[in-house]
Amino acid sequence: MLTGVKSLNRRNFLVTAAAAGTAACTGRPETPWRTLTADEATTLEAWCECLIPEDSDPGAKRAGVVRYIDIQLTRKFKRHRKAYSQAINALDKLAYAQNRGPFAALSFDERSLLLASFEKSENSKAFNMVLDHTLQGYFGSPRHGGNKDYASWRMLGVPPIPVRGRLQYSLLDPESNGGIS
Amino acid sequence: MKIAVILGLILFAAFLMVPAASFVYESGAPGACARCHEMAVPVDQWAGSAHRGVTCAKCHGDALTTDAQFHMTNARRVVEHNFGQVAERAQLRPGDVFAILQRCQNCHPQEYASWAAGPHSVKYEPLFLDKKHNSERHLMDDCLRCHGMHYAGGIRDLVTPLNNQGPWSFRDASMADKPAIPCLTCHAIHAHGNPLKGHVRKAGISRKEDVMTPSLAFWDRRARESVSVALLPLPAVHEGERPVKMSPDQRQALCYQCHAPLGNTQVRSGDDRTPVGVHEGLSCFACHDKHKQSTRASCANCHPKMSNCERDVETMDTTFFNKNSGHNVHFVKCADCHPKGIPAKKAKLERARQ
Ligand code: HEC
Ligand code: HEC
Ligand code: HEC
Ligand code: HEC
Ligand code: HEC
Ligand code: HEC
Ligand code: HEC
Ligand code: HEC
Repeated sequence: MLTGVKSLNRRNFLVTAAAAGTAACTGRPETPWRTLTADEATTLEAWCECLIPEDSDPGAKRAGVVRYIDIQLTRKFKRHRKAYSQAINALDKLAYAQNRGPFAALSFDERSLLLASFEKSENSKAFNMVLDHTLQGYFGSPRHGGNKDYASWRMLGVPPIPVRGRLQYSLLDPESNGGIS
Repeated sequence: MKIAVILGLILFAAFLMVPAASFVYESGAPGACARCHEMAVPVDQWAGSAHRGVTCAKCHGDALTTDAQFHMTNARRVVEHNFGQVAERAQLRPGDVFAILQRCQNCHPQEYASWAAGPHSVKYEPLFLDKKHNSERHLMDDCLRCHGMHYAGGIRDLVTPLNNQGPWSFRDASMADKPAIPCLTCHAIHAHGNPLKGHVRKAGISRKEDVMTPSLAFWDRRARESVSVALLPLPAVHEGERPVKMSPDQRQALCYQCHAPLGNTQVRSGDDRTPVGVHEGLSCFACHDKHKQSTRASCANCHPKMSNCERDVETMDTTFFNKNSGHNVHFVKCADCHPKGIPAKKAKLERARQ
C-alpha cells in the first residue's frame, strides 16, 4: 500500500541504487597507478631501474617493479604509503639541490652517484625499503604485479612451471617402484 | 507496518543494485570496463588478442544474464572497490570457467566437438572416484595440478574419504560431470601474442612460438594464471645415458605438463610418451590431432613412402593396431620386431634383379 510520497521514495531508491553502482568507476583512471602520482611513479621507476638496470634482460622498469609496489601500497604495504611519498620527495629534492633537475631527468651515472649518497644519508632506511621491494617485485611471482612475463626467472633459466610427472606406484604391490625403470 | 515497508524498499533497492553493477561493467562497451584499475589489464590484453573483435559480454554475460552469481560477483567487486579493497588483479571464479565453456562452443563448434570426442573432455568422476586408482595410490592436492585444475578448493573439499578403502564420493555431487580439462586449461583468452622474443633463446626455449596459436598456454593452478606455451620447458628426455633426439615443436611443452616423465628424465617413466625408435624426433602433433588426439589420419602422411618393411604399417603389430601389443608405436624399434637383424629388402632386391 504505497502512497504517492512513498512511490517517490521508491524512485529515489532506484536512482540511488543505480548511482551507487555507477559512482564506482567513472572515466578511465587518469594514471595507470593506483596510489602513486604520475610524478612519483616516474621518479620511483628511475630509482628502481638504477638498482636493477636493463642489460640484455629487462631491468626493474620493464619488469614492472613499480607496478608491483603500487599495487602492494593498496594492500600489504599500506603502512609504507607515507614513507614512499617522503622518500621520493627527499630524493627529488636532493636531485634539484645537487643537479638542478628532477631525479628522473638525470643521466644513469648521475643517478647512481646520487643514490649512493642518499643511501649513506639519514635516508638509509628508505633506501633499504625501496631496495627490498624492488628485489621482491623483480624476483617474486608475476601474480603479485611484478616480474612481468617472468623476466627474472627467464634470465636465471628457471622455467615458470617445471615438468613434473606422477609416480605410478601401487600400494597393493610392494614390488612396484613408481614406474622408475 | 511502516518499518516493514521501508525495509522492503531497502531490500528491493539492494536487489536492483545488483544488476546495476553489471550494467556498470558493460555500459559503453570495453572502455567502460577499463575504468577500474583492476580491469585495465584484462581489457588491454583483450585488445591485443585474437578476440579483440568479440565483445566482453559474448563471453562473460551481460546485465540481462539471469545467472544470479554473475551479478553478485559484479556487485561484490563494485562494493569492494568503493571501500578501497582493490584486488591484486581481477580473476574469474572457478564456477565461471564452466559457464564460459558453453560460450566457447557457440563460436567454435568444431573444436568443441573434437575436444568432446577426445580424451581431454574427461569428467571429474572417472578421475577422482576410480576404484582401482584410489585403492592403489593416495589422493592428494597434487592430483588437481593435471586434471581438475580449475577446482577452487583442495582434494579434501572435493572427495571423501581420503583413504585407500573407500567407497569414495564427491562432497558436492554436482562436480561429478564437470569437465576436468576444459578449453581454458590450454587456452588463455586474455593473452598477447609473442612476448619478449629476444630473450627466449637465452633461456634455452625454442623460438617456434611464431607459428603457434597465440592463446596456447597452460593453466598453472598454484599461481592461478595461464603460462604461455613459449615460456614452458620442453624436457630433455634420456634413454639410459643417451639424450633422446627431441622434436623442437614448442607446442608439445603443453602435453609434457601432464604426460610428463619423472625427475629421472627417463623415456617411458611416469606418463612419458616421447617417441624413441622408429619415430624418434617426431612431435606429438605429427600423429595426434590437437583436440581429438586421434591418430588414424596421420600414418598416411608418411607411410608407405617412409616405410622399410614393405607392409601396411597400420596393420603391423603396434599399439595402433592392437592395444595389448608389446610394440608401443611411441617406442618400437627395428630390433623389437627384427631381433635377428634387419632382413634384406626382398621386394626391392627382386625388382632390382628384373
Ligand atoms: C572470447 C571470450 C572472452 C572475451 C571476448 C572477453 N573475455 Fe574476459 N575472460 C575470458 C576467459 C576465458 C577468462 C579466463 C582467463 C583467461 O583465459 O584469460 C577471462 C578472464 C577475465 C577476467 C579475469 C582476469 C583473469 O585473469 O582471470 C576479467 C576481469 C575479464 N575477463 C574481463 C573482460 C573484459 C572487460 C572484456 C572485454 C573488454 C573481456 N573480458 C572479454 C574470456 C573472454
Ligand atoms: C562470439 C564468438 C566467440 C566466442 C564466444 C569465443 N571465440 Fe574464440 N574466436 C572467435 C573469433 C572471431 C576468433 C578469430 C578467428 C581468426 O583469427 O580467424 C577466435 C579465435 C580463437 C582462437 C585462435 C586464436 C587464439 O587466440 O589462439 C582460439 C584458440 C579460440 N578462439 C578459443 C576460444 C575459447 C577457448 C573460447 C571460450 C572461452 C572462445 N574462443 C570464445 C570467436 C569467439
Ligand atoms: C603430472 C600430471 C598428473 C598428476 C599429478 C596426476 N595425474 Fe592422473 N593422469 C594424468 C595423465 C597424463 C593421465 C593419462 C594417462 C594416460 O592415459 O597415458 C592421467 C590419468 C588418470 C586416470 C585414468 C587412469 C590412469 O591412471 O591412467 C585417473 C583415475 C587419474 N589420472 C587420477 C589421478 C589422481 C587421483 C591423481 C592424484 C593422486 C592423479 N591422477 C595425478 C596426469 C596426472
Ligand atoms: C589439451 C589442450 C587443449 C584443450 C583442452 C583445448 N585445446 Fe584448443 N588447441 C590446442 C592446441 C595444441 C591447438 C593448436 C595450436 C597450434 O597449432 O598453434 C589448439 C587450437 C585451437 C583453436 C585454433 C584453431 C586451430 O584449429 O588451430 C581453437 C579455435 C581452439 N583450439 C579452441 C578450443 C576450444 C573451444 C576448446 C574447448 C572445447 C579447446 N580448444 C580445448 C589445445 C587444446
Ligand atoms: C592438463 C593435462 C593434460 C594435457 C595438457 C594434455 N593431456 Fe592428454 N590426457 C590427460 C589426461 C588426464 C588423460 C586421461 C583422460 C582419461 O582418463 O580419460 C589424457 C589422455 C590423453 C590421450 C588418450 C589416452 C588413452 O589412454 O587413451 C592421448 C592420446 C593424449 N592425452 C595426448 C595428449 C597430447 C598429444 C597432448 C598435447 C597436445 C596432451 N595429451 C595434453 C591430460 C592432459
Ligand atoms: C608416430 C606417431 C605418434 C607420435 C609421434 C606420438 N604418438 Fe601418441 N599415440 C600414437 C598412436 C598410434 C597411439 C594409439 C592410440 C590409438 O589407438 O589411436 C597413441 C597413443 C597415445 C596415448 C594413449 C596411451 C597409449 O600409449 O596407447 C597417449 C597418452 C599418447 N599417445 C601421448 C603422446 C604424446 C604425449 C606424444 C608426444 C610426446 C605422442 N603421443 C607422440 C601415435 C603417436
Ligand atoms: C611424420 C612422419 C610419420 C608419421 C606421421 C608416422 N610415421 Fe611411422 N615411420 C616414419 C618413419 C620415417 C619411419 C622409418 C624410420 C626409420 O627408417 O628409421 C617409420 C617407421 C614406422 C614403423 C616401422 C616399420 C617400417 O615400415 O619402417 C612402423 C610400424 C610405423 N612407422 C608405424 C606408424 C603408424 C601406425 C603411424 C600412424 C599412427 C605412423 N607410423 C605415422 C614416419 C612417420
Ligand atoms: C612392428 C614391427 C616391425 C618394426 C618396428 C619394424 N619391422 Fe621391418 N618388418 C616387420 C614385418 C612383420 C616384416 C615382414 C616379415 C619379415 O620379412 O620378417 C618386416 C620386413 C622388413 C623388411 C623386408 C621387407 C621386404 O622387402 O619384404 C625390411 C628391410 C625391414 N622390415 C626393415 C625394417 C627396419 C629398417 C625397421 C626399423 C626402422 C623395421 N623394419 C621395423 C615388422 C617390423
